[in-house]
Amino acid sequence: MMNKKLIDPFRAAFHNTHEAGRVAFMPFLVAGDPDMKRSLAIFKAVSKYADMLEIGFPYTDPLADGPTIQAADERALKSGINTAKVFDLIKQLRGFYKKPVTVLVYANIVYQYGVERFYKTCAGAGIQGVLIPDVPYEEAAPFVANAKKYGVCPIFMITRTTTAGRLRNILKYAEGYLYLVSVLGVTGSRNSLQEDTTGFIKSIRKQTSLPLALGFGISKAEQIEQAARAGIDGVIAGSAIINVIENHLENPAAAAEAFIKGLLRPLDYQASIRS
Amino acid sequence: MNKKSGMAVKDKNRKGYFGEFGGQFVPETLMTPLHELESSYIKLIKNRRFIAELEEMLGSFAGRPTPLYLAKNLTALCKGAKIYLKREDLTHTGAHKINNAIGQALLAKHMGKTRIIAETGAGQHGVATAAVSAAMGLECTVYMGTVDMERQKPNVQRMQLLGATVTAVNNGSKTLKDAINEAIRDWVTNVKTSHYLIGSVLGPHPYPVMVRNFQRVIGVEARAQVLKKEKRLPDYLVAAIGGGSNSIGLFHEFLNDRKVKMVGVEAGGLGTKTGKHAARFAGGSPGILHGTLSYVLQDRSGQITETYSMAAGLDYPSIGPEHAWLHQTGRVEYTSVTDKEALHAFKLLSAKEGIIPAFESAHALAYGMKLASRQPKGRIVIINLSGRGDKDLLTNIDK
Repeated sequence: MMNKKLIDPFRAAFHNTHEAGRVAFMPFLVAGDPDMKRSLAIFKAVSKYADMLEIGFPYTDPLADGPTIQAADERALKSGINTAKVFDLIKQLRGFYKKPVTVLVYANIVYQYGVERFYKTCAGAGIQGVLIPDVPYEEAAPFVANAKKYGVCPIFMITRTTTAGRLRNILKYAEGYLYLVSVLGVTGSRNSLQEDTTGFIKSIRKQTSLPLALGFGISKAEQIEQAARAGIDGVIAGSAIINVIENHLENPAAAAEAFIKGLLRPLDYQASIRS
Repeated sequence: MNKKSGMAVKDKNRKGYFGEFGGQFVPETLMTPLHELESSYIKLIKNRRFIAELEEMLGSFAGRPTPLYLAKNLTALCKGAKIYLKREDLTHTGAHKINNAIGQALLAKHMGKTRIIAETGAGQHGVATAAVSAAMGLECTVYMGTVDMERQKPNVQRMQLLGATVTAVNNGSKTLKDAINEAIRDWVTNVKTSHYLIGSVLGPHPYPVMVRNFQRVIGVEARAQVLKKEKRLPDYLVAAIGGGSNSIGLFHEFLNDRKVKMVGVEAGGLGTKTGKHAARFAGGSPGILHGTLSYVLQDRSGQITETYSMAAGLDYPSIGPEHAWLHQTGRVEYTSVTDKEALHAFKLLSAKEGIIPAFESAHALAYGMKLASRQPKGRIVIINLSGRGDKDLLTNIDK
C-alpha cells in the first residue's frame, strides 16, 4: 500500500502570510451556489483575495450551519449539483488557483461516495484538506487513515466545549491547521467576537504548533484585527460573503469581490499589529 | 436493578454501536455534553432515589401500568389469532412518548439543566415534553415543521397551553427531519443550560440506548401481563416504526424469547414503489443522519430525500440504529402498510372496539389484523397501540 509522504501545504501558506505580517484570509464558499457557472465566476473573483480557500459540499441537512449556508446549499442542490460535479468544479478552480484548498463536507456524502474513494478523488482534484464537521475524533479513524494514505490533511474543529483531554486526542490526528470555532452555535455572521475569544485563542496556542484559523461569525475587519492581536494565524469568513451572494444573485461574483475588498481595506496596517 | 421501570439492561455491542450501526456523528461542540449526559445517565439509573422518582412519575403522572386489552371484536372479525392491544394510548398526554419524556426530564433536572429542547413530528412527543417540563418547572422549546403544525394543530395548541414555546420550522421538507436539525442547532448554541430531549431511539449515542431503556417499560409490562392472562408468551409482537421508540420499547424485553416473532411496520405512504413513503428498509440504504449511522432514504450522492406519510410521526427518512441492526440480524421483520390500509384500520378500530388510534398506531393495527387473520386460532398477537387519535381528527379521513 502506498503511503504518500505528507508535505503540508498549509504550513507553507501560513508561513507566507506570517512573512507578510498578516493573518491568512480564508474565504468559505459553497460549491455550485447558486449554480455551476456563477459559482465558478465567484471562485475566480474571491480566490484573488484568498490565502487559502474552503469549499463546502452542499448538503440537505447541514446541522452545523446556520440559515445563510443552508440556503446556499439549497440553491446549489436545486441547480442539480452532486458529488461528482463538486469535484469537477474544484478541478476547474485548480486551473487558476494554486494555493491550498480545504473542502468542508458532511459525513454522509463521504460515506456514500466511499471513504477511500473520496480521499483518493480529493487528492486527484488538488484538494489538500478535508474537514467533516459531524465526524468527531471518536469516529474519525477510518477517515483519517484514508486522508493520510492519499496525502490529504485531516482538519479538525476545536470549540468552546473541547476539553484539554479532547484537544490532546484531536492533536494526534489533526494536520494542516486547527479550525477554532469562536462561538457556541452554528455558522452565521455576527457583529462581534464572542466574549473572551482572545483567551480561547491564547489557550489553544499554548498547546499546539499547528496554525490556528478562526471561523464562525467573522464579518468585520475589527473582528479580524482582534483575533490577529490574540495570535490567530488565519480567519475564515463564510456566511458574511454568502449573504452578499444571496442578495446579488444576478451578478454575485462582482458583489462578493466588492464586499471582500471592503472587508480587507482597513487591514492594510496589519503588519504593525503582528510585529 | 429495577424490574418495573425496566431499566436494567446490558448491551453486548461496542460502545454506542449496535453491530455496525449507531455512533456519534455530531459537531465537536456537542461531544463533551454527550459524554456528560452519558456519565450522568449511567450514574443516575443506579441511583435509588432517581429510580423511585421515575417510578412515582410513571405511575402517578403518566398513569402506568397501561392495560393489555383483548380486542374481542377485532379478533372475531379477523377469525384467527387473538389480538391484544397494549394500551399506550391511555397514558397521560396520549402516547408512549411520555415514558421517555419523564425519564429524560428527570435526568436533565438532576444534571442542573433549566431548559428543555425538543423536536416533534406528530406532536405527541412535544406534548409529553411540554407536560413534563411544566410539572418539573423546566423551560421548554419545541421545534415543529410547519407541515406538521398544520396537520396536527390540536397538539400545537396543547403544547402552548402547557407553557411551551412552539417554534415553527420552515426549512427543507418542513417536517420532523428539519425540526431535528433546528433542535440540534439550538442545542449547539445553548448547550450549557439546555438538555436536548430527543423523542425517539435516534441521534448520537447515548440517546438510542437511553430512550430505549426509558421505553422498555412497555415490553416489561406487556410480558408480565400476557403471562398472567394467557400463561404463555405471545406468538407475535407488532408495532409501528417512525424513529422506532414504541416498537423497541415493546420488543426489547422479548428479544431473548426466541419463539416470539416481531414485526416493525413502517409508513408505506402512497406505496413503496411510488417514492412517496417513509419505508427505510424498503427504499433506503445505510447512511449517516442526525448523529447516527443507520438506514436512510437518500439519493446516490447521500442527499437525504423527502419522505411522505399521512402519519407525521412516521414521516422521517431514518430509523433508530438498533432497528438497523435487528433488521440485519433478522431478529425482527420489517414491513410497511400504505396510508389507505392504515386509514381503514383507524376507522375499523374506532367503530368496532370503541378506541380511536393515532394514525401512527393504525399502521401497526393494519398489519396486525392482516397477520392475525392468517394465523390459526389459539395464536396470540400483541399490537402496540402507541397513541390515541384525537390529534388526527382534523385530517380529512374521508379521502
